[in-house]
Amino acid sequence: MKVLAMQMRREIWEHRSLWIAPLLIAVLLLVGVATLGRIQFYEGPARPATATAPFELMLLGWGVPFYLAAGIVVAVYLLDCLYGERRDRSILFWRSMPVSDTETVLAKLLVGLVVVPYATFLLSALTSVLASVILAVRHHVLVNGQVAPLWNTLMWVRMQLVMLYGLTVLLLWYAPYAAYLMLASAWARRSPYAWAFVPPVLLAVCENMVFGTNYLGRIVERGFSQVLRLAFNLNLQFAYSVGESLPLAGNAARGAVRPTGGGATDLLASPQLWLGLVVAALMIALAIRLRRYRDDS
Amino acid sequence: MANIIEVRGLTKRYGRSLALDGVSFNVGAGRIFGLIGRNGAGKTTLLKAILGLTPYEGSVRVFGLEAARDRSALMNEICFIADTGVLPRWLRVDHAIDYVQGVHPRFERARAEAVLAGTRIPRRARIGELSKGMITQLHLALILAIDARLLVLDEPTLGLDLIYRRQFYDTLLTDYLDKERTILLTTHQVEEVENLLTDVLFIDRGRVLLDAVVEDLPRRFLQLEVAAGQREAASALKPLYSREVLGRPVMLFENQPREVLAGLGEVHPPAIGELFVAKLTAAASPDDPSGGSSGGSSRLTTGEAA
Repeated sequence: MKVLAMQMRREIWEHRSLWIAPLLIAVLLLVGVATLGRIQFYEGPARPATATAPFELMLLGWGVPFYLAAGIVVAVYLLDCLYGERRDRSILFWRSMPVSDTETVLAKLLVGLVVVPYATFLLSALTSVLASVILAVRHHVLVNGQVAPLWNTLMWVRMQLVMLYGLTVLLLWYAPYAAYLMLASAWARRSPYAWAFVPPVLLAVCENMVFGTNYLGRIVERGFSQVLRLAFNLNLQFAYSVGESLPLAGNAARGAVRPTGGGATDLLASPQLWLGLVVAALMIALAIRLRRYRDDS
Repeated sequence: MANIIEVRGLTKRYGRSLALDGVSFNVGAGRIFGLIGRNGAGKTTLLKAILGLTPYEGSVRVFGLEAARDRSALMNEICFIADTGVLPRWLRVDHAIDYVQGVHPRFERARAEAVLAGTRIPRRARIGELSKGMITQLHLALILAIDARLLVLDEPTLGLDLIYRRQFYDTLLTDYLDKERTILLTTHQVEEVENLLTDVLFIDRGRVLLDAVVEDLPRRFLQLEVAAGQREAASALKPLYSREVLGRPVMLFENQPREVLAGLGEVHPPAIGELFVAKLTAAASPDDPSGGSSGGSSRLTTGEAA
């Protein structure tokens, strides 16, 4: 356990972008909120000024830049984490320590799929409070000409739980993609980027030419469209249906945006997700074997 | 004396080429064992097999563990320095110490700090900012603070200038050897470790040329500076190898009694580097063991072995 923790710290030391990028987003957003001019909403006479819609919208959108930035640095990290150490031959130093290849690879996976995402979540949750404070102090948000309430504890907790749940489901959904990036990183003699992108595209093209189908293309496409939906909130019900299914949601803090249809819960029930996890485990096992038996440093 | 390393029939192929071809030898506890060979002779491959860093055929047992299978357990007992280039450049010096302390149960931080205190290495510098000599000092400080039973060094002074090479072996001798631990090292700077080694293994093209205890070498091998007029008589004794030094023939003999040679000129025990070249030359022309006296010697110079 101590070894695993140290192994993860070492990853954070090496890949500073993993914490710099989310922090940078936090600073930029907070500075933005603090310097922003007046925000006005005209919701029409039917909406009382006391509605918490602006707060809710802010909470919904707040996490997006964090997760986008974290997603990019994690992808870059996963592609480099088993390749860089061979390129600079430092693998000989790491492997001279009593740390197994399994521990090393798992530490890298945990950093990419657990530490960074959940730390990013905490950062986004914390900064959303700060942003509310800043806005409340400066009274910047008006609805129908009146100051809108910018705090509702129950709603805040609810939104954070929605995000936490959505994030967890997404991480499970993306585990095979992350595992594939690590496998490309462990496999590549040079240019892990080429190994990450060329084989899936080539295979999809071949599949299409030989069988006239495009299952592979759809798997990849589906994975990415999912992230786009969440990132840009094109699919609000995705997040909201999760909220509905949480016991805490209740009726207390019904939001402005009403969800319809399935979202993350459907994702959890889908066989693709669980099949994907099996594939991810296989690819990680392969990456461990590659690190162990590969001898080109 | 118990064997720490037992290698049996070790064979390693890279594609079609045979890097190691049925190598067998033992390393006893407390020995300072030198693996000597040209570039590409298979030294590093052999070390990698012993460290469990590469798959192989045959058996390599280190502390009773099969190296390829139990690498991470083995690393509790072994310290390993490849060459100076392998410490990651982005790592900070203090983090490097924290890291080894975090993962190695036998690391003693105070010892590392003590060795580092004698250097001018800044604690918060990244390794990439240090000079080559400093990196070696740091690596040595980390390794010496680990109470390991076997230290494996692969060309540890490669690319260092003379001062640092000296310092390296001095530190090694004072800090490591007083503990009666075992060292396995490869080098092509034979003359630097000549007085250090207790055992030598010559290796060429994946095969063992010589596996000997250094103490026994003078009994087996002798070097003769042939006196004027004795060249014919000396050649008749079938030297392993011969070369001209300042116009005088110098010949190396295996298993020739000292008394016989003493009549033909000045007799010395050969330097290990000299012996290595002789063995290599003899192996290169196996049909003609005295071939060294003709063209064979010009193929390799002592400079290459040294």
